[in-house]
Amino acid sequence: MNGKLYWKQKIPLLILNGAGMAALTVFLLLNGINSDSLILILSVWGAVLAGYLTGAYLLRKSQMDALLRLTEQLEERYLLPEVMERPARADDQVFYRLLKLVGKAMLEQVSGAKREQAEYREYIEQWIHEIKTPITAMKLICENHRSNLSKDLLAELEQITHYTEQALFYARSEQPEKDYLVREIRLFDVVHQAIAENRYLLRQYSVQIVLTETDDSVYSDEKWLCFILDQLIVNAVKYRTGSPKIRFYTEHGGNEVSLCIADNGMGITAGDLPRIFEKGFTGENGRSASQDATGIGLYLCKRLCDKLGIGLTAASDEETVFQLSFHINDLVHQVQG
Amino acid sequence: MAVYKIMIVEDDPVIRTELKNMLRGNGYDAITVSDFSQTINEVREQSPHLILLDIRLPGKDGFSLCSEIRTFSDVPIVFVTGCNTDMDELNSIMLGGDAYITKPYNTAILLAKIASLLKRAYPTGNQEVIPYRNTLLHLESGRLEFHGRQIDLTKTELKILYYLYKNAGKICSRNDLIDFLWDNQLYADDNALSVNVNRIRDKLASIGLRDFIQTRHRQGYSI
Repeated sequence: MNGKLYWKQKIPLLILNGAGMAALTVFLLLNGINSDSLILILSVWGAVLAGYLTGAYLLRKSQMDALLRLTEQLEERYLLPEVMERPARADDQVFYRLLKLVGKAMLEQVSGAKREQAEYREYIEQWIHEIKTPITAMKLICENHRSNLSKDLLAELEQITHYTEQALFYARSEQPEKDYLVREIRLFDVVHQAIAENRYLLRQYSVQIVLTETDDSVYSDEKWLCFILDQLIVNAVKYRTGSPKIRFYTEHGGNEVSLCIADNGMGITAGDLPRIFEKGFTGENGRSASQDATGIGLYLCKRLCDKLGIGLTAASDEETVFQLSFHINDLVHQVQG
Repeated sequence: MAVYKIMIVEDDPVIRTELKNMLRGNGYDAITVSDFSQTINEVREQSPHLILLDIRLPGKDGFSLCSEIRTFSDVPIVFVTGCNTDMDELNSIMLGGDAYITKPYNTAILLAKIASLLKRAYPTGNQEVIPYRNTLLHLESGRLEFHGRQIDLTKTELKILYYLYKNAGKICSRNDLIDFLWDNQLYADDNALSVNVNRIRDKLASIGLRDFIQTRHRQGYSI
């Protein structure tokens, strides 16, 4: 509580009391009171007034400080009207009621917005599932009538699938806890799957694929991992140079196994590197090389990796290397082995 | 080799037809169900070797169909679905599904899954050997035999030869060959194909087999 302001607001009361004292002095002097008695009366008046005001101030200050402390301790501060005591003063009660009304109105607004958002997300997910049927049909038609034309179409369909999946995972990344299926997966099985999802795109740009295949397994969610690899492959193709090449290999270190995806594309400038996983960030090369850099792909990768407990780092030197690090759970191996 | 019968239970008519054509094009006998209330009866009557089952179907969904089928048959069931939530995947495993593939699926992946499930469910036991002229191509051991002399082949070389043997007498375009290699998770480019074919020729020459693979200018290879 601002003490200065509090006392400033007491000025009218002080003036009133001063005026009262002056009037009493004049009245008593006219009635011939001696100065000693006058001083005594005025002192008593002054002392009572000062005592009352100081007491009231301290009481009020402690009440207000307690409320402030309570608010600070609350995790959900908007719940204050629910937990605070009902104030005793009449004017405080009005504010208390106002606080409750405002809080309630705000909660209604928020829950409305939340419901709308959830409904929208549900619709988007539904829509994505529905759009997959015609995409599947188109893919099958193209596969059944293989020609140069259908191969070009298949490459485009892979792009459509890529963006569809991205939208699905974006909608889901808000609450992915409901959508985990962690089990033992062979890293290179997922790599093969991600390459297969992009085979026409990779063939279209004559991307050279070099695998150093191992039998390393990790505990993770196959679907998510495949999505992450898909984003990284599409990026490598998007930012390709002359004769594009993507290498997949694993590295071991400590109690971690890492899957590395290295490409010989245009790379990431040192200045951009720390920011590539930010939402909406399109680096120097992103803006110049490709008109459709959205700044969503890598952001989603990082987000999903964080949720899955996978380390995701990027380095750009002669090659651009994205490294996915998985903890090897010794306990699981001990139990199984 | 026996022709496997695959039953497609899918409510989208275009996908149903195209999937049927695709499977038939790949050497399977494909049958479809169009009256979904009769699915169980159809399974009993036709006794297919493998079932592709959509999860979202009019009437009973794929999950309950699967558990019904499981009461009388161990036929491999592949769930094919548009909604790839892990809940569905978990359900499909719990109810006795053998594989789970999400739309829009990659046909190469689908075919590979089907082939491996069929191989597991109906083991033939015999070593696959393809004869051509005086040679034998041993698929399991990855060897080629000519008049008692053998050469070892790498995975890529074996797949190239397998494709040429399967299409013996026909011209195989370089593109088709590369496609086939990609189907088998061997990511060769134009250059790598030439290198591999030349290496095969050298190996063949070492056992006295010359001019076995012909190069058709601008068209591809043939044996």
